Amino acid sequence: MSDSPSKPKPKPKPKRSIGARIFRILSGFEIAVICLSLLFLLTFFGTIEQKWFGLWATIHKYFDIESLYVIPTLGDGKYIFFPLPGAYWVIVVLGINMLCGAIIRARKGWKKAGVLLSHCSILFMLIAGAVSSVSKEEGHMRVLQGERSDYAQKLFKHDIEIFPYGEKGERKNPAIVRSEFIKALGSKDKLEATFEKFDFTLEIDHYLPVSALSLESTTEKAPEGVEVVDGFFLVEIEKNIQQEEANMPGCYASVKDKEGNTIQRLVLWAGNPYPVSFSHEGVRYGVTYLMEVWPMPFMVDLHKTLGEYHPGTQIPRWFQSNITKIDGTQREDYEIIMNEPARHDGYTLYQAGYSPAAEGETPSSTFAIVNNPSDKWPEYALYASTIGLLFHFLMMLARFAGGSRPKKKPTTKLSAS
Amino acid sequence: MRNLLLLATSATILAGCGGPEKSIHVTETRELTLHDRHYPGNLKDEPPLGWRRLPGTQFRLINYVAGENDSVEIVMGESQGDVLGNANRWLGQFGLTPLQTQDYLGKTDMLGKVAYIVEGAGTYTPGMGKGIQENFSLIGIIRPAGANIITLKMTGPTAEVEKCRDEFFTYMRSFTPIEDHFITPPTGEEAPEKKTESSKY
Repeated sequence: MSDSPSKPKPKPKPKRSIGARIFRILSGFEIAVICLSLLFLLTFFGTIEQKWFGLWATIHKYFDIESLYVIPTLGDGKYIFFPLPGAYWVIVVLGINMLCGAIIRARKGWKKAGVLLSHCSILFMLIAGAVSSVSKEEGHMRVLQGERSDYAQKLFKHDIEIFPYGEKGERKNPAIVRSEFIKALGSKDKLEATFEKFDFTLEIDHYLPVSALSLESTTEKAPEGVEVVDGFFLVEIEKNIQQEEANMPGCYASVKDKEGNTIQRLVLWAGNPYPVSFSHEGVRYGVTYLMEVWPMPFMVDLHKTLGEYHPGTQIPRWFQSNITKIDGTQREDYEIIMNEPARHDGYTLYQAGYSPAAEGETPSSTFAIVNNPSDKWPEYALYASTIGLLFHFLMMLARFAGGSRPKKKPTTKLSAS
Repeated sequence: MRNLLLLATSATILAGCGGPEKSIHVTETRELTLHDRHYPGNLKDEPPLGWRRLPGTQFRLINYVAGENDSVEIVMGESQGDVLGNANRWLGQFGLTPLQTQDYLGKTDMLGKVAYIVEGAGTYTPGMGKGIQENFSLIGIIRPAGANIITLKMTGPTAEVEKCRDEFFTYMRSFTPIEDHFITPPTGEEAPEKKTESSKY
């Protein structure tokens, strides 16, 4: 046997900690590719699905924070793909991936400053989306020409309001039972609401998310088991999937005194524009079930509404509203047109629709009002991203131009021998 | 440490599995807006304390019940047609002979204009899928309003209607037009044509 020297053993790789491994996975390119592919699929199936279920329902199904997973379906309820994670949570994972991979793990330095800025701005855009999803408020204000309004209504949230009437029949400040408590009820559950300012309770029952109010007569009888109150009864109807705001919830309610005796039984329906009433201890009270009223810190006077539909359709080609926005003594005139909203302290007024002057009716404008703290963030993110990429490309160009210059050959001096 | 984390996670998940809230205490109120100044037909009313308002319908802008067992109905609506035609329709519901002229009707003042009083008693056939009622009475007011008419009508058992008679006329006089939501156009501009109900008053 030869006594040749043995080969040096390769050094064992340093063992990574669990934290480092998790960080490596989270910041990996693979996660980014998976997330972007999932977002593509979610957008694709969402676009298909909204044909049957309407825009509002589909956006909420695919993009809400509550949607942990979604199953793409056809209009007849048939599944067309495997369950996918909800878009909100995919974006959260993508955001974490970008933070770890494209910012923390990325190489730093002047040469990478542009790319780093672009990554930061894309991450900021994702954060803007999350903030908007959680804290954005949105409502609609419908104003007739020649009239004014200082409130909007949230089309998909229905509260119960209870208020006392004053001596002259005027309404006083209402107490509000919020929609989330009512919605959480099934048709068999009851909700008991006590009030800080009233000494009675309201017991809400038989909540129906999509209902119609009918008046009993010899030709229209209430179905068996359905309660009739003051000649009226609620029936569940088919959901309008194309026009979500047309779906009116309803419920029954009992007003009870401190001892639990029923003062009045009521039937409440969100399609009824005016309150029902009862009296208790010498005071008259109104109860109304309505789209959440959202008071505005300003008043809108609508002077003129103009517009035109595409021929033979109800799709507006253009519309315009001439308004005055009044905040205390400050008055500002605006011409609101498509994609040119009016703004007021974080509130944005877009024109969402208009109704032309039909025979015997007054034309009206409907404004979508949005209060979104991150309203302008995506715009800022785009500017930052543009600057970052521009900087990066200019650096590349400079390097390319520098690198393509002919290099001087090194001159060697021959020494005389 | 690991056990603590597990415990905290389990508690969070279990807390999220709770059923809907069955009892709440409401402290939240809302500031008043123009929404709270919207009244049917832009008319604010002051009903007596004993009257109770029910949901409105297509023909009942305002819909109250009063009297013993809520047996009296007080309804305000707006419809087309003339005074005499509507008065005779109401009288017909009691099987009474139609009038040849509205001069036979009593007169009163409603919202600053002349209104006509229609009264009847007997067997009431309300129609609209409702049953026949014996010993019923009617007190009705018809007031021309532009091309339409405003109607205010009280029906119920004769004794109960008589008890509510004074309250009914007091109620009729309580109507106040509310036009807070109308704007004054800037100087030099024509006011947009008001086609809403209150403009008729």
